[in-house]
Amino acid sequence: MNATIIEKILSSASKKKVSAGDRVWADVDLIAMRDFGGPNVIQEFKNNFGEKKVFDPEKVVFTFDLHIPPRTEKVAKNQKACREFAEEQRTRLFDINHGIGQHVLFEHGLVKPQDVIIGTDSHMNLLGALQSFSTGVGTTDIVAALATGKLWFRVPRTIKIEIDGKLKKGVYAKDIILHILKNLGTSGLIYKAVEFYGSTVDDLNLAGRITLTSMVTEMSGKIGFITPNNEIVSFVNERSGQKNEFVSADKNAEYEDVLNFEVDDLEPMVACPHSPDNVRSVREVEGTKIGQVFIGSCTNGRFDDLFEAAKILKGNKSKARLIIVPATMEVAKEAIEKGLYKIFIDAGAVVSNPSCALCTIGHPGVLAPYDVLLSTSNRNYLGKIGKDAEIYLCSPATAAASAINGEITDPRG
Amino acid sequence: MRLRGKVWKFGDDIDTDQIYPGKYLPLTDKEEMAEHAMEGIPDYENFSKMIKKGDIIVGGKNFGCGSSREHAPISIEYAGIDLIIAKSFARIFYRNCVNIGFPILEAEEEDIDNIDDSDELEIDLEKGEIRNLTKMKTFKGKALSGLEMEIMNAGGLLDYLKGSSKY
Ligand code: SF4
Repeated sequence: MNATIIEKILSSASKKKVSAGDRVWADVDLIAMRDFGGPNVIQEFKNNFGEKKVFDPEKVVFTFDLHIPPRTEKVAKNQKACREFAEEQRTRLFDINHGIGQHVLFEHGLVKPQDVIIGTDSHMNLLGALQSFSTGVGTTDIVAALATGKLWFRVPRTIKIEIDGKLKKGVYAKDIILHILKNLGTSGLIYKAVEFYGSTVDDLNLAGRITLTSMVTEMSGKIGFITPNNEIVSFVNERSGQKNEFVSADKNAEYEDVLNFEVDDLEPMVACPHSPDNVRSVREVEGTKIGQVFIGSCTNGRFDDLFEAAKILKGNKSKARLIIVPATMEVAKEAIEKGLYKIFIDAGAVVSNPSCALCTIGHPGVLAPYDVLLSTSNRNYLGKIGKDAEIYLCSPATAAASAINGEITDPRG
Repeated sequence: MRLRGKVWKFGDDIDTDQIYPGKYLPLTDKEEMAEHAMEGIPDYENFSKMIKKGDIIVGGKNFGCGSSREHAPISIEYAGIDLIIAKSFARIFYRNCVNIGFPILEAEEEDIDNIDDSDELEIDLEKGEIRNLTKMKTFKGKALSGLEMEIMNAGGLLDYLKGSSKY
């Protein structure tokens, strides 16, 4: 036996033993569409299959997370089309009051280990933190899977990444993944799966694990898996209402490469414009003026992320325009209950409803040309949040410390 | 299938926001999408009007990285480009192309480095053979393998499924 995690999952989903390089038809456990992507899917599904029913309505779900509530008639129409389709087809739909899709799905127990999940977002793969094989796909993939319940995949080779050491105060999962990005580059994991191991990873909470797995996308990787600790096992079991079986790679699993990272001495990191692998230590760019700060997104929008920011913001005022957006309504509720909203508002922040927010241009908060945004999101391509605006990426702690000074600042003081 | 056209050359990591800026995501009409192909790249704002039907895009590494938007390959196809050759493709962009039956081809880095803007190429897709008519050079790209070629030849995933027992 020499299978990696992805080989095991795709073997069981395709009911035959497969290994890296094979092409398979796998059974799909969940299809997720959003307010973006969803309308294109509906149109193409109807064009091709008319009034046909989807293969299994229980396995199809809509999540609205991008333009919520809608700001334009076009978006409103798109969302209406999704609602109507969901009703016709009797699928679930999480409307504008829920938040970022992937997070809503696992909070509602729809994500289980070994599940094959496809969706219309490039960061579906953050669900590898819960050991599901989730991947972003295009319209045609979703249409095909809606009709048949199956989809083709190339089985990727796997790279093992070992991360060891104790993080210093003020250093987080985001700094680790930016450090790895700096080393591997934006095409470093092209068409590869990753398995993360090591003492540092074992200690990460759910939020930190999601930060790691979400940014596998920025290295062009397909999926990143993390072996669950007790916290993750009980979270997944409790949310899904069942006892789940997690998989591990075989002892002799074949890896394309094994990479080691020691993070004892890692410093806070920041990705500079206009690429997520243009990474420096915060120290190197300290003092860079920023106009706006965004704390949120599927990479850093969980309660633990907001909590780290709140610790720093407490009792301070933000010099930069500060926009804070919880990933989901569940996160927002906890943040309200634990007093975070008051801290944020007292610090001068705008706290918006849960959504993808400033991860893309679809949300209020776009930037004027040459304005500078410091963001906890995952991408900083030119034009992402406004023509010619500059985007830096960092951890919630670095974002909070920098907001207070109006310039990039080391959260360690 | 044989294709022939003029090259539009681009560099590494051409991402989906450059190929198809996020602000046009609400569009659902393919002809409208075509007007915005490559619009996010400085000097290529009018790409769809600059090209002739049958032209070829040649890219570097990781072409099409970024979001899962199928608008990206669709806009390029409907603008009139017949083929993209690159050193490597981002995975979602890759499968989106296969799924809509839009031809792509990977080739060795040094072979791609030897192609210049405006060169005239002739391509045999099945063999993966690329002839640079301007430079009088022929080299091999990586033709799509098995299943992907079958899907491409069927005209895309949906036509493939309709013609098979999977559906
Ligand atoms: S926050 Fe950004 S990357 Fe994450 S799910 Fe939303 S749009 Fe996608």
